[in-house]
Amino acid sequence: MKGSGSDILIIGIGNSGRADDGLGWAFVDRIRESLPDRVDYAYNYQLQIEDAELISHYSRVYFVDAHIMEWDEGFTLDPCTPKANQGFTTHELEPGAVLYLAETLYHKKPEAFILGITGLNFELKTGLSEGAEQNLARALNYFNENVLNLIT
Amino acid sequence: MSQKLVIDPVTRVEGHGKVTVHLDDHNKVKDAFFHVVEFRGFERFIQGHPYWEAPVLVQRLCGICPVSHHLAAAKAIDQIVGLDPADLSLPAQKIRKLLHLAQIFQSHALHFFYLASPDLLFGYDADPVKRNVVGVAMEYPALAKKGILMRKFGQEIIKMIAGKRIHGISATPGGVHKKITVKERSYFLEDNETPSIDTMINWSVEIVDFIKEYHGKNKAFLDTFAAYPSGHLGLVNKENGFLELYDGNLRATDFEGNVTLDDIRDVDYNKHFYEGVEKWSYLKFPYLKHLGREKGWNRVGPLARINICDGIETPLAERERQLFKAETNGQINNMTMHTHWARLIEILYCAEMMKSLLEDDNILSGDLHRKGERRNEGVGVIEAPRGTLIHHYEVDDKDRITRCNLIVSTTHNNEAMNQAVRWVASHEMSGKPRVTEAMMNQIEVAIRAYDPCLSCATHALGQMPLELTLYDACGNIVDERIRQ
Repeated sequence: MKGSGSDILIIGIGNSGRADDGLGWAFVDRIRESLPDRVDYAYNYQLQIEDAELISHYSRVYFVDAHIMEWDEGFTLDPCTPKANQGFTTHELEPGAVLYLAETLYHKKPEAFILGITGLNFELKTGLSEGAEQNLARALNYFNENVLNLIT
Repeated sequence: MSQKLVIDPVTRVEGHGKVTVHLDDHNKVKDAFFHVVEFRGFERFIQGHPYWEAPVLVQRLCGICPVSHHLAAAKAIDQIVGLDPADLSLPAQKIRKLLHLAQIFQSHALHFFYLASPDLLFGYDADPVKRNVVGVAMEYPALAKKGILMRKFGQEIIKMIAGKRIHGISATPGGVHKKITVKERSYFLEDNETPSIDTMINWSVEIVDFIKEYHGKNKAFLDTFAAYPSGHLGLVNKENGFLELYDGNLRATDFEGNVTLDDIRDVDYNKHFYEGVEKWSYLKFPYLKHLGREKGWNRVGPLARINICDGIETPLAERERQLFKAETNGQINNMTMHTHWARLIEILYCAEMMKSLLEDDNILSGDLHRKGERRNEGVGVIEAPRGTLIHHYEVDDKDRITRCNLIVSTTHNNEAMNQAVRWVASHEMSGKPRVTEAMMNQIEVAIRAYDPCLSCATHALGQMPLELTLYDACGNIVDERIRQ
């Protein structure tokens, strides 16, 4: 993380020891050098309740994670809205639940998006599969052209 | 028509698990099993790697307790470079202990505030939409914020020592890689954006008081739910038999307190344990050789540790231990739900010990490394948040790992969790025509007391529905529910 002065946060979520589950981290690895000053980044294994406190310091947040869904483009970028019903596990909160907690506990509601990148292999190994690499490249191109280029 | 009920995966525990309950023609429970269906293969994965990589690689086992794996592996690798735990420099020992205490503190806080408290605050029969951490945040925001800050405190200490909250690196063969500065230490001794260690101690006292008050109001439930006799295993201090989390001797007792493993050296674990296997689970079943598979299994974790130790060296936690022991007139406590209580006593112990170490100028020293005479085998045993964790490595003359054996805390608790599932199935589900949401959660409440970690290493979005499937005697699905 770069620290104070940033108002946009990109959180890469995943585990690089489980092949394509490392897509979120790989995305941050490859984009962080080109990030404008006002954009911060973080690596997370899973989203946890304390991340509500973290995102409460930013006006906009991008959650980047591997996804098992497949899309033609290999990724999807969707708005994320606060969600009280966070499902059945609390060791890995959904992004919507983290947003909801930020709003409930800290009265902050950052604009949020989920960038899901299709992963194909989640075995115990390091390195992305060929298909995941292609999907990651498409996601990076899109993000650079349509998100970062608009941030001054 | 006999039926098989499947709850898959179990919720609010680490990783994926599955519970099957087998009913006979009269809806009576015939048997029940807790399956672990995720295979990790880490012991093979690590073979061939140079030994010094082990403390780094094994952290990938888990995102919740990577520090425990890091330190258990480091203790084993210390022996490869010729050092027993006491051979390390005092500053290195103390920095490692501080790191370990911070890990247990934040892990126990996570468990209590986010996993256990929804059941305690709302009741296990409450609507699952409400009975979760979001529900706690909505109705008890002050409690939720304390939980966040206690977890954050532990994680900030981990970050100070290891560089990162998750998967940082501190231990190197024979020591640690950096000392702590005065400025870094001061951050935790004073109130700033993270409350001070004194505040952590005060809040720890508060939550111990909470669980005692809760016990007073819910004694029947906490004393009887999923209670059953078992052995208890853990490390104890080598000098005085007190609670020990980083380095000690292995002690076990049976359900009545008779010693079954008498303070053996931890490196000799494999002389005393076998690991049983069952076809229906990837998780093994450790047991004491001399007692056999049926009688030799033990619980590990907070309840076991408080049961077997002779005392606690910090005053506030020791006072609470004595009150806890008084509940059973000094006898062994086999009440599963008291594990939550024991866990909170350990939170208090960790907070007190962290203060002691933070105020110790030894942690500021640059005397961080030792060297010894190379060996080809090392065993590291540590008390992880969930219980006794064993790492055992053999290496060849080219420094490559040739054999690895890991017995993780949840593996030790495998039989205990199966006993818990059987207790709930036979007491709460037998003879009932339908399985209700409350029954499902009672199974989970019993398992959650052990805070099991079943490998949460993969978590891609869209992968974790809760499935409930009902089978008839022929294996046909007669009912199925999926909870996202």
